[in-house]
Amino acid sequence: MSQHSLLHSRFGTLGHVCMRSATSWWEIIHFGAVAIVLALSPSTYSQGNYTVIARNIYTSTWQVLFWFTVLCALVSLVLIRIVVVTASSYGLSQYALEMVVRVLVLELIPLGAALFVLLRSGMTISTEATASLMRTELVPCVIAVAFSVATLAAVSSVVALVLAYLVVYGLSPWGLTEYTHMVGRVFDPVVTVTFIFKTVWFSLAVAVIPLASALQVPHEATRESNPVPQGTVRLFLVLVLIEGVSLTAKYI
Amino acid sequence: MEQPPDMQSESKFQPVSPPPNIEFKVMLLLVLMGVLVFSSLAYVMYARGAFESTQQVILVADDSEGVIVGMDMTFSGFPIGRVRRVELADDGKARIVIEVARQDAKWLRTSSVFTMERSIVGSTHLHVFTGVLTDPPLPDGAVRTVLIGDATAEIPHLVNTIRDLVENLQNMTKPDSSLNVSLNNVQTVTQNLKGPYGALGVVLGSEANAKKVITTLDESKAAITQVNAILSDVRTSLKSVDAVLAEAQAVGANARVATTDLGALREQVEMNLRKVEHLVDEINRKWPLARDTELKLP
Repeated sequence: MSQHSLLHSRFGTLGHVCMRSATSWWEIIHFGAVAIVLALSPSTYSQGNYTVIARNIYTSTWQVLFWFTVLCALVSLVLIRIVVVTASSYGLSQYALEMVVRVLVLELIPLGAALFVLLRSGMTISTEATASLMRTELVPCVIAVAFSVATLAAVSSVVALVLAYLVVYGLSPWGLTEYTHMVGRVFDPVVTVTFIFKTVWFSLAVAVIPLASALQVPHEATRESNPVPQGTVRLFLVLVLIEGVSLTAKYI
Repeated sequence: MEQPPDMQSESKFQPVSPPPNIEFKVMLLLVLMGVLVFSSLAYVMYARGAFESTQQVILVADDSEGVIVGMDMTFSGFPIGRVRRVELADDGKARIVIEVARQDAKWLRTSSVFTMERSIVGSTHLHVFTGVLTDPPLPDGAVRTVLIGDATAEIPHLVNTIRDLVENLQNMTKPDSSLNVSLNNVQTVTQNLKGPYGALGVVLGSEANAKKVITTLDESKAAITQVNAILSDVRTSLKSVDAVLAEAQAVGANARVATTDLGALREQVEMNLRKVEHLVDEINRKWPLARDTELKLP
């Protein structure tokens, strides 16, 4: 009888945990949906709100764009050089540029931009969020963070494409036709659409999940002792999921 | 290390001065982002050939393995076309639809040959070869059979050849094989070569024969010595003959000189005879009684 009650208790606890987790995810999705609807609503961009949005964008994008681009360019340069030299040593130089574009531009840079914005903005936001100012504080923040991820990824991708050309062909214009042909071969419709969707989903995830999780903190007061914010863990999970789906769509 | 609650609230609600020209900078960012996105999309569309007019070439192959949508068709190493579609025809053959830019279509002629090469390592390649560039251009939608050069197709033939080669090698290396017998013979020959009579014994077949040949050679050597002695005697005799001949030559020379003197003597005799005849005629004229005109020489 005691074993039965213990089993019942354990199932009860498991059910409670599952229920709480599902509720939590539902709240995140609901918050994201509301935020997107408000972000697409013209009334959000009233004069007073526009100032707040502009300030958020300035903080999350303008202040970091240059340094992130420089950092990304350096890392890209190192990776491009390694890939090109290694491929040439194996006599596979014709595949080097394609590999650089596929690895750097399509995979690493969007993920790097999302993680960078998460580390800089998302974790800070998660400690300060309050639900009472949805339209005036939270939605501008969501818009700014999403815009930041997309802008950093786009600028760094273009810089990486230019660097890849310069590393392989130098300043000569005679490789442009071949390079353009290679870019066209890599960015077929499936890859292009997947790349755009992945970047958009990265932006939304980084913008929404930390904020939504921060709003749940009063309900989950028992987890305050956890050193890693719950939203960060969920965000990593979602980023890995998006990356996996993107890879599946492109290569399987 | 946590701050006291009053300090946290102070820092949280501390008024922050807005940065200068914030709206202009944000607008600049928005414009930059818009330009970047649209220019990137336009570049990708340009790279995909969305803005260039194309014509189609349909290649028919028995097997489209390795052909993927988007792969290039090259001419002289330059990509001039791209696979747009691969489909299965009603006759069970693969139809590879290739789009070629109009500006590159000049390389395609009615006599062009299309090939598909599959290598053991690496991807499949589509090539076009045009030998006569003055032939009529290939029309849009032309259907051509593609020649397949498959490196892997050679493998079974290669394996069969290698198997035959190995069997031959096995036959050659058997203990009773002709090669082994020949090698044994060679070994015997080399052993004989190392024997007392060397190559002579190998050539003549036995040591006795070689011994006979060597004896004959020794005898020949003695005979040659004797012949040499005879030859030296002959040489001496010939020297004596040479001396006789020299004397005969001198005699001949004297005879030649004497013959020359005889000519002069004869002339003198003829002259003297003419004088005598003249004298006789003179006497006959001065001696009229004498009717005997006959001149009697003393």
